[in-house]
Amino acid sequence: MLSHFLQRNGIPTTTISLIREHTEVARPPRALWVPFPLGRPLGVADDPEFQRDVLRSALSLLETATEPTIEDYPHDAPDSGGDGVWACSVVLPEPEVSDLEAAMRSEVDLLTPWYAEARRRRGRTTVGISGATPEEIDQVVSFVIAVTQGSGFKEVPISARGPNWSHAMPMLVRFAVEDLRAFYQEAVTSGPETNPPSQHDMHSWIFNKTALGRAIIQIGHQIAAANEPRLMMMRGLIVPEGFWEGEAAWGEAPPDGDRLGFIIRSRAYLAGEEA
Amino acid sequence: MVRLDDLHPEEAAGMLAAAARFSSIDHEATPWIAPPPLVESTICLITSAALHRRSDLPFRFGDTGYRLIPDDVDPTDLVQSHVSVNFDRTHYQRDMNVVLPIDRLHELRDAGEIGGISPAHFSVLGASPDARAFEASAADMANRMRELGVDAALLVPV
Repeated sequence: MLSHFLQRNGIPTTTISLIREHTEVARPPRALWVPFPLGRPLGVADDPEFQRDVLRSALSLLETATEPTIEDYPHDAPDSGGDGVWACSVVLPEPEVSDLEAAMRSEVDLLTPWYAEARRRRGRTTVGISGATPEEIDQVVSFVIAVTQGSGFKEVPISARGPNWSHAMPMLVRFAVEDLRAFYQEAVTSGPETNPPSQHDMHSWIFNKTALGRAIIQIGHQIAAANEPRLMMMRGLIVPEGFWEGEAAWGEAPPDGDRLGFIIRSRAYLAGEEA
Repeated sequence: MVRLDDLHPEEAAGMLAAAARFSSIDHEATPWIAPPPLVESTICLITSAALHRRSDLPFRFGDTGYRLIPDDVDPTDLVQSHVSVNFDRTHYQRDMNVVLPIDRLHELRDAGEIGGISPAHFSVLGASPDARAFEASAADMANRMRELGVDAALLVPV
């Protein structure tokens, strides 16, 4: 869409496309469809040659296309991975459901040196979108644990005050969960020699092997118990499809079937701008 | 690799339904325009990953604005507000260029394959359910791009 609006304002565009079905409807002026997983438009980390080739292919459409064009990039991303091949090299204890807080704090303690190693090696971290700093990860744990215990979705739990949270409730819950997920993911992929896990393997590890996964599912139950249809969208934002038992992670479709309209109508509530 | 057939059926159905938001586009209203040859063109990137500097206001849910990312941004200063359980994030966590290929763009410029790079790139929050939401932002972005000497933009979704 953006490409249409930019061209109407005089800026020629070319775009990488991850979902061909969307691009076929949107018909931007120039698009290079790439057969890569969502979240990886340039294909693969730490492979400058491959990334350059994707970039070059997308830019070259600016010279070669003479009418709206969707070109298919011919190469899959050079992952040697795939599903079911990755095993986490950090051994965590079997998550103890009866004391989720102790289990999660123990996991964070175990993962901290790995996380620090990843951060040092990469020179950066993606933890921090909730507003909490990586040094405040304990407060993020307190936040998430409080929500699993029923602190609700209106106020930041008292036990989690301190960080300069960047978002309002209820959406802050999602960003806190994502900061913890990023902390775990960066920690267990810290080795330079290991190929990153497939997305499915990473989800499987989190939801089957960690107290964090148990906590996210528990938040999902709290969301369902809140009996607020607009909040159900957040469950779909924190639990991938296939990892919530019983129904779609997003919950049932709205009665009129208009999911896009429902999302639009729910945004202000989720952003904390509407009761 | 991940094509819609490879996704969970619920997720794939959601993705297909989301295509409907593009059906209202009047394709005829978009003129065909082309930039100068690439070797003379200044290029900017637009990411839909809601990347922003830590000191920027974060994108709120449904935000239709944009943030500027300096071409010489310190990667440690970037955060990504658009996170989804549907994204494979481990690659971005290892290498910014898999989402925002600033280093690769520099290499193409240094090799003389493109003419130049915009002093700033643009970031928006993607996956908006409302296709028209970015109309006003795009007009403003286009003005900024002209000021920055941009000849063409590469949109990089996530």
